[in-house]
Amino acid sequence: MNTAVIETPRTATPKILTRGQVIGLLVLVLVGSIPALFGNFGFFVGQYALVYAMIGLSVTVLTGYAGLISVMQYSFAGIGAVVTGLAMASWGWPFWFAVPLAAVATLPVSLVVGVVSVRLKRLYLAIATLTFANVLGETFFKWERVTGGGAGWLVQKPKLGPLSFTTDFSFYVLCFVVAVLMVWMIEGLRTSRMGRAMLAVRDNELEAQAIGINVYKTKLAAFAISGMIAGVGGAFLAVLLSSVTPTAFQSPLAEATSILLLTLVVIGGINRSIGAFIGAVTLVVQQQVFAGADFFYVFVGVYSALLLILFLMFRPGGIVQVAKIQWGLIRTRPLVGIPIALGVVGLNIGIAYLFLRLS
Amino acid sequence: MPILRTRDISKSFGGVTALHEVDISVDEGEIVGLLGPNGAGKSTLFNVISGFLKPETGRILFMEEEINHLLPYERVAAGLGRTFQHVRLFKNMTVYENLLVAQHRHLTSGSFAAMLRLPSWKRDEKDARERVDAILEQVNLAPWREALPTELSYGTTRFLELACVLSLQPKVLLLDEPASGIQQKEVEALGPMLKRIRDENGTSIVLIEHDMGLLLGVSERIYALDFGKVIAEGTPDEVVHDDQVLESYLGRTRRESVA
Amino acid sequence: MILSAPVAQVTSFGLAAGAVFGLLALGLVLIYRTTGIMNFAHWAIGLMSAVTYALLTAHGAPPWVGIALSIPFAIALGVLAYRLVFRRISRSNQVIVILVSLGIAQLYSSLATMVLGFQEFTPLEPWLPVRDLTIGSITVRTTEIITVAIAIGVAFGFLVWFRVSRTGRALRAVAQNREAAMLAGIDDIRYSSLAWGIGSGLAALAVLLVMPHVGGERGGLITTFDTTPLGTLLIPAFGAALLGGLVHLPMALAGGFLFGLTRELLVLAPAPWNEMRGTAAAVLIVFLLLLRTERFFATKQELEALEA
Repeated sequence: MNTAVIETPRTATPKILTRGQVIGLLVLVLVGSIPALFGNFGFFVGQYALVYAMIGLSVTVLTGYAGLISVMQYSFAGIGAVVTGLAMASWGWPFWFAVPLAAVATLPVSLVVGVVSVRLKRLYLAIATLTFANVLGETFFKWERVTGGGAGWLVQKPKLGPLSFTTDFSFYVLCFVVAVLMVWMIEGLRTSRMGRAMLAVRDNELEAQAIGINVYKTKLAAFAISGMIAGVGGAFLAVLLSSVTPTAFQSPLAEATSILLLTLVVIGGINRSIGAFIGAVTLVVQQQVFAGADFFYVFVGVYSALLLILFLMFRPGGIVQVAKIQWGLIRTRPLVGIPIALGVVGLNIGIAYLFLRLS
Repeated sequence: MPILRTRDISKSFGGVTALHEVDISVDEGEIVGLLGPNGAGKSTLFNVISGFLKPETGRILFMEEEINHLLPYERVAAGLGRTFQHVRLFKNMTVYENLLVAQHRHLTSGSFAAMLRLPSWKRDEKDARERVDAILEQVNLAPWREALPTELSYGTTRFLELACVLSLQPKVLLLDEPASGIQQKEVEALGPMLKRIRDENGTSIVLIEHDMGLLLGVSERIYALDFGKVIAEGTPDEVVHDDQVLESYLGRTRRESVA
Repeated sequence: MILSAPVAQVTSFGLAAGAVFGLLALGLVLIYRTTGIMNFAHWAIGLMSAVTYALLTAHGAPPWVGIALSIPFAIALGVLAYRLVFRRISRSNQVIVILVSLGIAQLYSSLATMVLGFQEFTPLEPWLPVRDLTIGSITVRTTEIITVAIAIGVAFGFLVWFRVSRTGRALRAVAQNREAAMLAGIDDIRYSSLAWGIGSGLAALAVLLVMPHVGGERGGLITTFDTTPLGTLLIPAFGAALLGGLVHLPMALAGGFLFGLTRELLVLAPAPWNEMRGTAAAVLIVFLLLLRTERFFATKQELEALEA
């Protein structure tokens, strides 16, 4: 009130891309081409990481934004995958039409779960989703006309005009573009009316009502959006695996994979959409790197579970939170912060590289 | 013309009567005080009016329409804002984000507009941020914009909560002990602030307050409650001199202060 | 009333399954009431006893030694999980508490997978006498009778001890009102550890009763399904616990039998319904959830205390 706000004159030259956007794109291209260091194997692993990142984003919306815990996210991905298989292998649809269908196909289930979720507290909701995953495994994923029976569907890699995504490299590029787009979209959701309502509901349901938020609708929307994201991820999963076998989505494997999704998202950072991306890359790369060295492979499961518990206890914001703290250090004490950051990143890439060379 | 009216509101908890046939009415642009000892049913009445509790009998009329069937958030949308006796804020959000969430009912663009950063979202977002900036200046919270509510003094959180409710642009504002727990200097600032809010926006205010100076200073009319019943109604002057009020409220406080 | 032979047959299966669910549910409820934590790692902790048992017997230890060592091991793992992890996280953030408990489940289940050497099947020797008894037209396995007897015996023993003994009463005080119990000088951490110990022991017993005997004389198997974090029997156990609103011990035991009988009697239903065991359990569970059974067994304050 006492100081007049002085309008800083902005450089009003209309540009197609600002400097920030150019730098952002460059960083993206750089990050995206990291797998090239490891040749074709790198792209192969990269695809897995990216598809898991897509499915993981559904956890970001549901648990990270709205504070609802679900142990059935992989079942939503399964619906997407099976529907993609059905549309492509049985009806001969192109992949590009199957993706939106996969997203929409999750809605009937996610809305039912959403309606139930509104009446339940968090703990009870976790139990409810567990049983829903079980039911889907016994009904939908055993429905032979839809799932293609025990053998499942064979899914071709997609084509777009002259472009074909049959090689690991080209499909990796496709997944990268889509995953980055989804991360960007989910980050945008945070600043929407609905996204903020979700964050408010997670924080304090009573206060959310007192400022006029429809808690019922918000939870329903969280389930619907998160189901659709998982459905899209499932469509890419179907193509990635080239075949959809319904047994992978039956109990108790479906719940186990859903827990894995929660793990990777928490490790990456559950409050930010980029966390799903980071977490998926971390976990999948870890798994593949360790897979090369037999002796260490056995530790992957234990290691990631320990990582999950430790992050939840000490840094519930995951790697994103750690990076933020590190960034603060770099800005205040660059001489300490920068070497630490470079050291950690270098050490990790180095270890991965060594493991792959040795095996 | 009364903008808010309750008719024969009764509510009990496990056999204990909290409200008994309470009738109050609030005119447009009026500041009404609720006076009464702890447990007289004032907060219960707020909870009933704002929809967090269901009354056993009685009707709540807002702008001449019955709102008994409306859920709490629908009553907010209709124009009923409230604060809580114990400050309720979003603890994991900054001051700025708290106020931004409170813009909820003024936003119109959908989720997909935000995901794709469409112009409609950009416009919405810009307007919301401008309004929040203005409110921050109005309630002198600008220096704490990036702070979490847990980092603020209790008094400051009270003002933040008030600012959040004001962002809803309510027609009627229910304030539950806004002065409790804050410094005397801030209490003194509160009276003129409430009057200004009323004068500038025409908002009606219903006030529960134990600080007599504030309550008697700003209220134009006062209802005195005891044991869930309205025992007196009138101007501050009339109510303080009412025999029953003296008996039940002031007498009791005197006894309490002796003990 | 005379039951027809197939009904009597599946009833005996159902009672045995119910006994196992009941034991699991008792542990879940005890831990939840005392510490406010829903233990999604319950199965994984119980599983670790089966893993220990498998390893010991595979290396030539007699079955009873295996049992005697594996139950204490599971108890130790449960107490460890509480002492090292759950005690150190704030209960106010339920999302974190649930995620951590899923994390512990994952930790123990991957430990199990690792220790078993990534085998798809690990054989388990039976430790109860396995024989078929024919009574009239029904054949009952001795293991089923013993399972039901042990479960009921242990459960009643525990419930009586919980009501009568000094320790049990202190435990109940903690379960009913932590703050008041702490003010009364009851060591909250000690009794919470005790609850985790007993709960984990009950889970271990349940797993050891069922797993080594599913194949009759051939013993049993630990499969890759069993080594998933939530295993295969946790859902009905949750259902059983829900019958008592997650807080009432005797009702949880009764719930075990309800879910066990439903599950096995379903076998008599026409196809495809006879294969929808999980669906039947889920329908019951969602019904119980929406009924909000907890309000019948605990006051509002007690429920709020469990979540704060």
